[in-house]
Amino acid sequence: MILHAPTPPPTHHPSLETLTRYAAGTLRAGFDFVTAVHVSKCLHCREQVAALECVGGALLHETTGAPVQEDALARTLARLDEPAFEPEAPSLEQLLSDVKRRWVAPGIWVAKVNTPHDKGDRVFILSAAPGAATALHAHHGDEYTQILSGVLGDGETRFRAGDFVERGPEHMHQPHTIGQQPCVCLFATRGRLKPADMIGRLAFMIADV
Amino acid sequence: MIWPDLKRVEVPMSLKAKAHIAVRSWARQGACVERMPNPIADPAQVARDLLLRIANGDREAFSALFLIAAPKIKAYLLRLGCPPAGAEELTQDVMLAVWRKARLFDPVKAGALTWIFVIARNRRIDSLRRERSTRTYGAHPPDVKDEDTPLASDIVAGAQRDILVRNAMKTLAPDQREVLQRSFFDDQPHAEIAAALNLPLGTVKSRLRLAMEKLRVRLGNLA
Repeated sequence: MILHAPTPPPTHHPSLETLTRYAAGTLRAGFDFVTAVHVSKCLHCREQVAALECVGGALLHETTGAPVQEDALARTLARLDEPAFEPEAPSLEQLLSDVKRRWVAPGIWVAKVNTPHDKGDRVFILSAAPGAATALHAHHGDEYTQILSGVLGDGETRFRAGDFVERGPEHMHQPHTIGQQPCVCLFATRGRLKPADMIGRLAFMIADV
Repeated sequence: MIWPDLKRVEVPMSLKAKAHIAVRSWARQGACVERMPNPIADPAQVARDLLLRIANGDREAFSALFLIAAPKIKAYLLRLGCPPAGAEELTQDVMLAVWRKARLFDPVKAGALTWIFVIARNRRIDSLRRERSTRTYGAHPPDVKDEDTPLASDIVAGAQRDILVRNAMKTLAPDQREVLQRSFFDDQPHAEIAAALNLPLGTVKSRLRLAMEKLRVRLGNLA
């Protein structure tokens, strides 16, 4: 019987600012989603987030209260027996698998992830086969990437499945797949990508990113 | 397939995990509450004991917790920019969620205030997203009780952990505290916090990093 080698832990993580804002619940929805996918797969970041949540608890504890309405308790008590109506929230995995692939270039497909994100946030999965060239591009805003499978090369750095990459708007890059497997990544971007050439412009138009 | 299932690797149960399970079942039975009445009634422990009673449907305990927690939750929501009427309504929603989820509260995993903070944070996110879409999603799943292998940090019981963090935070330099506080209570990226404080972005980032490093040094296995 062949045992599956355990997946090595990720080596590239969200920044402390991102983890803090994730724990505080103040990230924009699309970026929150991609960060959540990383955290759910990364023990190191789960521990960081747990520690940051403790800080949130401590800050809440220290907060000087604001008066609530006089009947607030009575009104809440009256609701305790109401049946709970909680719409079932789809899990991260469901959202990631519940996507429609669109081939946009040889070896490349893109799928929008259906999240109720803020206007202007885009969340999508992009898969690039080995050798498929992605377009050189920059961003109007930040870009978060979680590598779902395969290996992504960006400049001198290799990112593996489980890794997380944060890029600012000034960063111009042309990530590419390394190895024999397609590289599948989850992205959140703010605003549309800025392709550096005509082919990129066409590809991004088809992909609607 | 896009998202391969990570195979759970079976490992022999460590001593730590065994200790964790023992502590957890002990705490679940409420043994620690009854056998060890606490001479110093720390608010975090009071809140924990109330939550354990609420889990058994105790409305008096709920009323007592409401008086402690609701004003703090409302202040937190107001600080994050909720309009006053919305903050009032959302505070009541958060407390209703506390009532409904109290059975999921695990005193070993989290301190009471941290647990309540997480619920308030998640309700706030849900309500913001509901304004834009009827569909929310579970990006912050921690109110689900999970039975995963415990993290090393779980061994410290939740309430104790909350107290440790609170004490450690008192030792932070004021500028480090301020950045921590703004990171949680101002709905802004650090670049904007830096602009508001008239500081370079790098200074804000390094203060946050120093604060977290200091907390970690003081708490050992917390993070």
